[in-house]
Amino acid sequence: MMARKLIRETIPTPEQDPKERIFNFNEVNLGYTFELAQKEAERCLQCPYDYAPCIKGCPVHIDIPGFIKKLREYREDPDKAVKEALRVIWACNTLPATTGRVCPQEDQCEMNCVMGKVGDKINIGKLERFVADYAREKGIDDELLSEIVPKIERKSQKVAIIGAGPAGLTAAGELAKMGYKVTIFEALHEAGGGVMYGIPEFRLPKAVVKKELETLRRLGVEIKTDHIVGRTVTLEELLEEYDAVFIGSGAGTPRFINAPGVNLNGIYSANEFLTRVNLMRAYKFPEYETPIKVGKKAIVIGAGNTAMDAARTARRLGAEVIVAYRRGEEDVSAREEEVEHAKEEGVKFEFFLNPVEFIGDENGRVKAVRFEKMKPLEERDSRGKRKIVGTGEYVTLEADTVVIAIGKTANKLIASTPGLEVNKGVIKVDENLMTSIEGVFAGGDAIRGEATVILAMGDGRKAAKAIHEYLTKKRDENA
Amino acid sequence: MYKILEKKELAMNEIMYKVHAPHIAKKVQPGQFVIMRAFENGERIPLTPVTWDREEGWITLITFIRGRTTLRMNMELNEGDYILNIAGPLGNPAPMKKFGKILAVGLITGIVEVFPIARAWQELGNEVITLHVSPNPMVLLREEFESAVSKHIVEGFDLKEGWGMDEITQEIVKRAAKKVKELIEEEKPDFVFTVGPAGGQKMIFNIVKEYGIPMESDLHPIMVDGTGMCGACRVHVGGEVKFACIDGPGFDAYKVDWDELIHRSGFYSDKEKLALEVYLKKLQAQGGAQ
Ligand SMILES: Cc1cc2nc3c(=O)[nH]c(=O)nc-3n(C[C@H](O)[C@H](O)[C@H](O)COP(=O)(O)OP(=O)(O)OC[C@H]3O[C@@H](n4cnc5c(N)ncnc54)[C@H](O)[C@@H]3O)c2cc1C
Ligand SMILES: Cc1cc2nc3c(=O)[nH]c(=O)nc-3n(C[C@H](O)[C@H](O)[C@H](O)COP(=O)(O)OP(=O)(O)OC[C@H]3O[C@@H](n4cnc5c(N)ncnc54)[C@H](O)[C@@H]3O)c2cc1C
Ligand code: SF4
Ligand code: SF4
Ligand code: FES
Repeated sequence: MMARKLIRETIPTPEQDPKERIFNFNEVNLGYTFELAQKEAERCLQCPYDYAPCIKGCPVHIDIPGFIKKLREYREDPDKAVKEALRVIWACNTLPATTGRVCPQEDQCEMNCVMGKVGDKINIGKLERFVADYAREKGIDDELLSEIVPKIERKSQKVAIIGAGPAGLTAAGELAKMGYKVTIFEALHEAGGGVMYGIPEFRLPKAVVKKELETLRRLGVEIKTDHIVGRTVTLEELLEEYDAVFIGSGAGTPRFINAPGVNLNGIYSANEFLTRVNLMRAYKFPEYETPIKVGKKAIVIGAGNTAMDAARTARRLGAEVIVAYRRGEEDVSAREEEVEHAKEEGVKFEFFLNPVEFIGDENGRVKAVRFEKMKPLEERDSRGKRKIVGTGEYVTLEADTVVIAIGKTANKLIASTPGLEVNKGVIKVDENLMTSIEGVFAGGDAIRGEATVILAMGDGRKAAKAIHEYLTKKRDENA
Repeated sequence: MYKILEKKELAMNEIMYKVHAPHIAKKVQPGQFVIMRAFENGERIPLTPVTWDREEGWITLITFIRGRTTLRMNMELNEGDYILNIAGPLGNPAPMKKFGKILAVGLITGIVEVFPIARAWQELGNEVITLHVSPNPMVLLREEFESAVSKHIVEGFDLKEGWGMDEITQEIVKRAAKKVKELIEEEKPDFVFTVGPAGGQKMIFNIVKEYGIPMESDLHPIMVDGTGMCGACRVHVGGEVKFACIDGPGFDAYKVDWDELIHRSGFYSDKEKLALEVYLKKLQAQGGAQ
């Protein structure tokens, strides 16, 4: 074999100009073309499967060198290249257009990429996204699906899934592929969970998610929207009708700050703010009928992905935006790319500020936030973050809009099911993701608190396997 | 998609939709509500099932035409059409206990929400007196109440030329306060329950509290999802942040931060006005109200 030339520099993906994109909600990153994807794929060193650190870093263990190889192997036939690459990806992940866009790749697949030692790491996320996007545009995903669907051996056992977020959708997809009859119960009017109501259009176009949902429907999954488990139907009732249940209800309830004035007008939870904009499309008001009110100065409290999304959304709705975080820059948990994008778009960051009071005007609308200045200690907490303490010094920043993005806890409706053990707001599970109720499994944010799309999907896959084992045993016992 | 089986104007601007929604009909209890979205670009709004049939799988919703969604529903949805989404039942059922003598007050369309609760209380052995304060043309469900509770009182008034919603609300608040005081003196209720605009409920509360009678109110903050996911519906109750959609909608009136609730309900009024105007213009362009 001829020695390959080392190409140290990564091939960048084109992006929308920051000056333009703060006036629209169109996707910021434009993704690779086939030619660019080829060039990036060329750079991969094709580490052996058992060694490849990229595979180890991916929570669902996609065969990354494997799919990259397909892109190179069929270089002369782009459609074939993409189809074979997609086949490899789908073996582990049915939502690649989503994960390719939103995974924190720098902490996962790309973290230990060998190319990083000699140059830039391989842009795995963007390659994955390219495969999914190209397949969707050319209908290659449908073709592949038509090969898979007729081969499914249908089983008589039924599984109910609670919540149509990444965890529930993945569990549903895997179980459907094994032939189970799967019904998803979703509280909202649209499926998708956090990726639908939370992550904005400019980062993850809703049409992309809808297409990935279509794939599931074609696998035979039924999605019942408008069904709230705990109200419309209870877990006990589901257990009477279904042979197993998976809970993927997310970490649905926003945390607020226990400070005076927190209910002033103009103060939103990130969930409300983003739901209005994403799910209800308030950025198109009044053509879309759900309103949102953003003034001239917005403060976003928190520094995770959710905070970045809220900040960049507020920016697009015309506000000057400050992200205020009680810790330092090194503890920002958002994806690198999001922080960079936010900065490019003119979002300002203020660190070591902890909100203590929201100040309102005579109409009950917020006009300022008072913060205590914090300082870091050398000592670290259990998550390895430096501890912080108040300094007794205060600062007041003006704001007519505040978005609180400090995290979420489990949705009460399910967490309060009798017999279901819950610990600090998250559902308790064993190593097979089974809860304290037999036949009821759980995964995703519901068991982790706020986590990531791909971890939720990893749980969905793992639970599907465990459910399959559980149901196989049950069937054999009854036979 | 939920089919509209029947549509009727019960009183001026009060429209009843009988809708096929078996998942709601099967489960709903008095005091619970639904969130519906009628149109693809539409808002999600909370409404209350007033009557239902668990076997036949229908519920009735009664909307007062007050803004863009309720108007648009009336203009664009007829028998045989479909409502895109109805999620629920949401919220906690009203407490089904023996209180003794109950005074249940509904201000304008609030009375439709009182109906299922008052009827259930009466069936449970309470003596229920209902009071409906409303402009005369908007009086509704009179016979239904008369056959369901011990005593149904309508405090109606005529509309004057040029009155808008603000004037009507002021008149309602004034009359409700006076009438509730009278009824407390005459009937000596053990428990008071109210549904209606926050301003009106607050006025009633100010009177009830002078007598120290226990009181519960159904709160109507602005809602988005109705499942505890967004916090739009939050309100301070007893000094704690509560979500009306999952912790309520009924709360101890003595603990509610009424002024906060009033402020929060009005936050979008300029946007709501704009949405309505845009829609009215569209109707005009289409040649007026068909
Ligand atoms: C603004 C924002 C930005 C984010 N950015 C990123 C990112 O860049 N990268 C990343 O990896 N992750 C990101 N995340 C996190 C990611 O979205 C979540 O970790 C992921 O969606 C969790 O998946 P899940 O399936 O466990 O739950 P969810 O996605 O929360 O889905 C749960 C579903 O269950 C439904 N449900 C809840 N209760 C009930 C009930 N009682 N009955 C029926 N249905 C119910 C909900 O409506 C929802 O649809 C972001 C999250 C947000 C909010
Ligand atoms: C638990 C509950 C039960 C309700 N039951 C009924 C009912 O049975 N019949 C009925 O006619 N009305 C009911 N309402 C009120 C109903 O939701 C509003 O009439 C409706 O949202 C008005 O929408 P619109 O677009 O026509 O008017 P808009 O012009 O948009 O709004 C008019 C007023 O309605 C309220 N409102 C607007 N949007 C919302 C929202 N998303 N959530 C809550 N309130 C809102 C606001 O106070 C606003 O000022 C209920 C409200 C709640 C919270
Ligand atoms: S799923 Fe996420 S972590 Fe895995 S390869 Fe794709 S982008 Fe990387
Ligand atoms: S670690 Fe990097 S170079 Fe090695 S196979 Fe994975 S992507 Fe390619
Ligand atoms: S309406 Fe969203 S939490 Fe109550």
